[in-house]
Amino acid sequence: MLRPFALHRPATAEEACALLGRLGDDAVPYAGGTELLLLMKEGLLRPRHLVDLKRIPGLDAIAAGGGGLLVGATATHRAVERSAPVAAACPVLASVARHVANVRVRNVGTVGGNLAFADPHSDLATVFLALDATVALVSPRGRRELPVGDFVRGPWETAREADEVLVAVVVPPGLGRVAAAYVKFGVHERPTLGIAVVLGVEDRDGRAGAGRVADARIAIGCVNPRPARAPDAEARLRGCGVGDLEDVAGAVAERAAASADPADDLHGSADYKREMVAVFTRRALRAAAARARGGEGPARYAHAVLA
Amino acid sequence: MSGPADDRAAGGAPAAEAIELVVNGRRHRVAVRSHDLLLDVLRDRLDLKGAKRSCDAQVCGACTVLVDGLAVSACTYLAVEAAGRSVLTVEGLADGDRLHPLQQAFVDHGAVQCGFCTSGMLLSAKALLDEQPAPSRVDVLHHLRGSLCRCTGYRKIVEAILAVAGDAGHGGRGGRP
Amino acid sequence: MSARPLRHVGRSVPRVDALEKVTGRARYVTDLVVPGMAHAKVRRSPHPHARVVHVDLSRARALPGVFAALGGADLTWCDPYCGPAFRDRPVLAIDVARYEGEPVAAVAAVDEATAAEALDLVRVDYEALPAVISLEEALRPGAPLVHVGEPLAGHFADLASLRPERGTNVCHRFSYARGDAAAALAGAHLVVEDAFEFPRVQHYAMEPNAAVAAWDETGGLTVWAGTQNPYSVRVELAKMFGAPLSRIRIVVPHLGGGFGSKTYAKLEPLAAVLARAAGRPVRLAASAAEAFQTVRRCGARVRVRVGLARDGTLQAVECRADYDMGAYADIGPRVVQKATYTATGPYRVPHVALDARAVYTNTTPGGAFRGFGVPQLAWALESLLDVAADRLDRDPVDLRRQNFLAHGEEFAPGDTPIDGKFEESLGRAAEAIRWTAAAPAGRGRGVSAMLKASIAPSVSEAIVRLHADGSVTVLASTVEMGQGARTALAQIAAEVLAVGMDRVGVAPADTAVTPYDQTTSSSRSTTLTGRAVQEAAADVREQLLRIVADHLGVPARRLALDDGAVTVDAADGGPGGAAGQAGAGAAPPARRLAYPEVLALRFGMSGGELIGRGVVAPGRTRAPLGGSTPFWEVAVGAAEVSLDEATGALTVERYVSVADVGRAVNPLILEGQDEGAVVQGLGHTLFEEMTYADGHLLNGTLLAYRVPRADDVPAALECRFTENGDGSGPFGAKGAGEGSLIPVSPAVGNALARLAGIRLRELPLSPERVWRALRARRRG
Repeated sequence: MLRPFALHRPATAEEACALLGRLGDDAVPYAGGTELLLLMKEGLLRPRHLVDLKRIPGLDAIAAGGGGLLVGATATHRAVERSAPVAAACPVLASVARHVANVRVRNVGTVGGNLAFADPHSDLATVFLALDATVALVSPRGRRELPVGDFVRGPWETAREADEVLVAVVVPPGLGRVAAAYVKFGVHERPTLGIAVVLGVEDRDGRAGAGRVADARIAIGCVNPRPARAPDAEARLRGCGVGDLEDVAGAVAERAAASADPADDLHGSADYKREMVAVFTRRALRAAAARARGGEGPARYAHAVLA
Repeated sequence: MSGPADDRAAGGAPAAEAIELVVNGRRHRVAVRSHDLLLDVLRDRLDLKGAKRSCDAQVCGACTVLVDGLAVSACTYLAVEAAGRSVLTVEGLADGDRLHPLQQAFVDHGAVQCGFCTSGMLLSAKALLDEQPAPSRVDVLHHLRGSLCRCTGYRKIVEAILAVAGDAGHGGRGGRP
Repeated sequence: MSARPLRHVGRSVPRVDALEKVTGRARYVTDLVVPGMAHAKVRRSPHPHARVVHVDLSRARALPGVFAALGGADLTWCDPYCGPAFRDRPVLAIDVARYEGEPVAAVAAVDEATAAEALDLVRVDYEALPAVISLEEALRPGAPLVHVGEPLAGHFADLASLRPERGTNVCHRFSYARGDAAAALAGAHLVVEDAFEFPRVQHYAMEPNAAVAAWDETGGLTVWAGTQNPYSVRVELAKMFGAPLSRIRIVVPHLGGGFGSKTYAKLEPLAAVLARAAGRPVRLAASAAEAFQTVRRCGARVRVRVGLARDGTLQAVECRADYDMGAYADIGPRVVQKATYTATGPYRVPHVALDARAVYTNTTPGGAFRGFGVPQLAWALESLLDVAADRLDRDPVDLRRQNFLAHGEEFAPGDTPIDGKFEESLGRAAEAIRWTAAAPAGRGRGVSAMLKASIAPSVSEAIVRLHADGSVTVLASTVEMGQGARTALAQIAAEVLAVGMDRVGVAPADTAVTPYDQTTSSSRSTTLTGRAVQEAAADVREQLLRIVADHLGVPARRLALDDGAVTVDAADGGPGGAAGQAGAGAAPPARRLAYPEVLALRFGMSGGELIGRGVVAPGRTRAPLGGSTPFWEVAVGAAEVSLDEATGALTVERYVSVADVGRAVNPLILEGQDEGAVVQGLGHTLFEEMTYADGHLLNGTLLAYRVPRADDVPAALECRFTENGDGSGPFGAKGAGEGSLIPVSPAVGNALARLAGIRLRELPLSPERVWRALRARRRG
């Protein structure tokens, strides 16, 4: 059961910010509530005011255009999974959304809520990081945009000010043709690790198999205090021919693993996790590479989801 | 951190709001407070005990109800969110004495043992079949990832759902092994 | 007894409670509303071991809407200690809190919110004490003691004498020997030895423990409880309050799962005490997290030495087992002694030395859980047998076959002869898993067999009432927790009385109405309570026949029951006096008297009823544990696994279970039970373990405790039954429902060993553990 609170339903983002500013520490933004209400039931959070963002028009919009893909903060995982603009502009995002938690959480939970909560096991944070996404925040001081990597600061910690509202996530168009894959692994309810590989491919001679990797982004999630890119691993990929990716996979995986900073916990010991980063970087890369070549790679690994 | 004692000191009992919602096709008007959970309103105020509290953390699905056709964890869903909406609980599945095909299939396939997960399983399955009349086994397993059972080992539950999907007569996508 | 074919028993009739469960109408304890009932909440110790210095309830008591607030020190007006083996568990901690989660204070208030608020106002001062969390810590000489010696409970014959080791954390020690194991091992051709560990795991019944207690105006107590043994709870409460048994009533609605977590008193005493203090009914419902702090399976460390002759004959088994029983004994001592007694499994072993200890630790109490101590031992012995097979270059199926106890062979002097055919079940399992064919690439196969005794001595009584309209009510205190007991008992009564299933009702267990049944556990209900129902129904049958015989002046051999009537066959009868046999060629009965007619004859009016009684009480025997098991549970498992070597993730691709059940009273229900048992076994085999750090449970919720999901079920899962009609239960049935869980972990472990050449000794076989073993193999 929940302890009593007042539920506010602002009609605009400005109103929401004003409420948050006025009520301070006693207030939290609320959308799907799938993470917030759980912590409140456990007594770990006891806000006396919830500021419901769901009545703000347009906050759940999903739209694709020249500037990239815009996902409104109150868009549910389900909406992202089924969205035509997402399917066209960034299909890996739809696949990842399809596998967040379980169907009930997907029906109610929101993209903005997920990012703003900054659960260290969040799939979306990892994927958005690899997609070079930015979050848009509004406050009485105006609107600002922040790369996801700067927004998520640590476990359950973000750069959001108390009177700021996260309104959207923007995924910029990739360099070249994007081939991406996300794989998460683990036995528990939350994943033990999640690896996103996003390749920007420059095709040659119009053939999918003959291109080279113009841009590579690898994000490692769950094993560090926050999702992190693996720049050394990415560097190894840049310039590779799409047909040669298997040859560099080992080196890329090693570099990715070396960049991870796991700790021992219920999900496993640090050395196991580090090795799994290598294994699944390799596997995610294999899948992305297959997509870069216009096909699909091996689909199934035990206790893993490939999106 | 403020606690409930401080709430009392601060301003008395939280106000209740009258909301209207349709449950199993019937219109209800209930006074709820913002912190009331849908599961408790259904069970304690509307006497619909079919939805159960088990894990209380959205993992197990025993509390599953459909809100405007979408499965939600009633244990972690504010009652006020259901205002103006249509809720379906297990009590609303049968049409008088006529069981819903899923209910009948669960009986026929032996997919019920202690029954505590059954309400949630039935509603989850209904939501799936309403959206995907001919799911494959993989689709069913994906959908049931959030519906736990400790008694049956799941096999007969999955068979019952696939049987209903098959009987619906649509061309299967993926089919059944 | 009529020899006509069975109409109900052996058929997969729909469950009698299916309709109420699929329509959401089935009622569980937490669905009940008793007028005026208060809601209780419990404050639990945050420490693994601490002195409870002071409990300040003053602010809680002052809160409007609070009816009662209690701490251990307040319980001066009852006997606050409970426990089926030792009376060691106080309703609320008294002076000492012995595990994280132990109830220290409780409140009852007008609603849940007020109760939660009141609980926030309770202040408890603790003084942390050194704690022992692992078996190692608990057994170290000079270790802090969890208890300092408690009186025996004295309820049960087999627990009448327990052997605690004073001054240590050993709550009970059980030893059993036959022959001279030491000498036999010394002389054996091959000795294999190893130590194995079985984790602490939790039942996770979908419905957590709950009870509603109410005292009435006459001083009687009624408790609606989700309990597997209403009669044991009644005894506990009677003792607590110094009340006669007749004044205590336990009513049991549907249970949302049990698996042993709801055996013996759990929340009922606290609910009753609060109700007394509050002066109104009290509802006490544990959350799922609190269930993890109420009871679990005993973890274990098992060291086994097995001696074999050159030809593979087992000569000796030496087993030393330590069971982690948690902070309170619960039924742990019986778990330890009963399981250890059968540690040698389904094999013929002439020389045996078994020694086991039930050990207290400062963790959630360990009690009964499906398998009752045997999974822990089977994990060890069955793994080691495969090691022996490997060393002898023998096929593991063959080695087992060679050593199986035979049908009718004695397990131990004075105990029940083996009533199952292991060889038949193993043969069928091996065939189903295609044992003799080469496994596909990347797959490995393993087998395991197990034997389990049921509780003895025990008592089951039943009453069957035949009403004036020919309908029937069965009164028995077997509890329905999903296993289909109500249905099985209805089938048995319907069969004996020759009525349709729709004419039979089974009353819910209620100690004011349904007679004594020892427990719904130990896979005993179909066999023992079933026999009591069968006897009771047969008693009614005899009465029916006698009434008609007397009335018509006709010998009983010309009478039979058929389709709700007593039939009288023609005077010249058929060959051999076959009376009322359905079937080709039989003459139709000369006369039919429907049951209502028969009752009208008896009572001279339309009214009255016939009441039949059955009592099954095998009693004490000379068997080592004081009673001879009424049947043996016999089961075999075979697994085929694949492995992702890069991650250590193990997948059980195929699993076959064969259980020797005598006769399947309801094949569909039985199959469902065994499928559930196998998947629950996969839980501790692949995923489940309660993880403690410094005495704090890290994963006491489903967010971090992983139970099997639908996509964990093997793609090919077959549960089959061997039915030779050789059980002591009705129509040749025997108990089932636990046996199929036990072989899962060793079958999977053996399959992994055969596939990858690694032998793990610890469960669960998590990806990381397997990965580590693979690495060690690569390096070694």
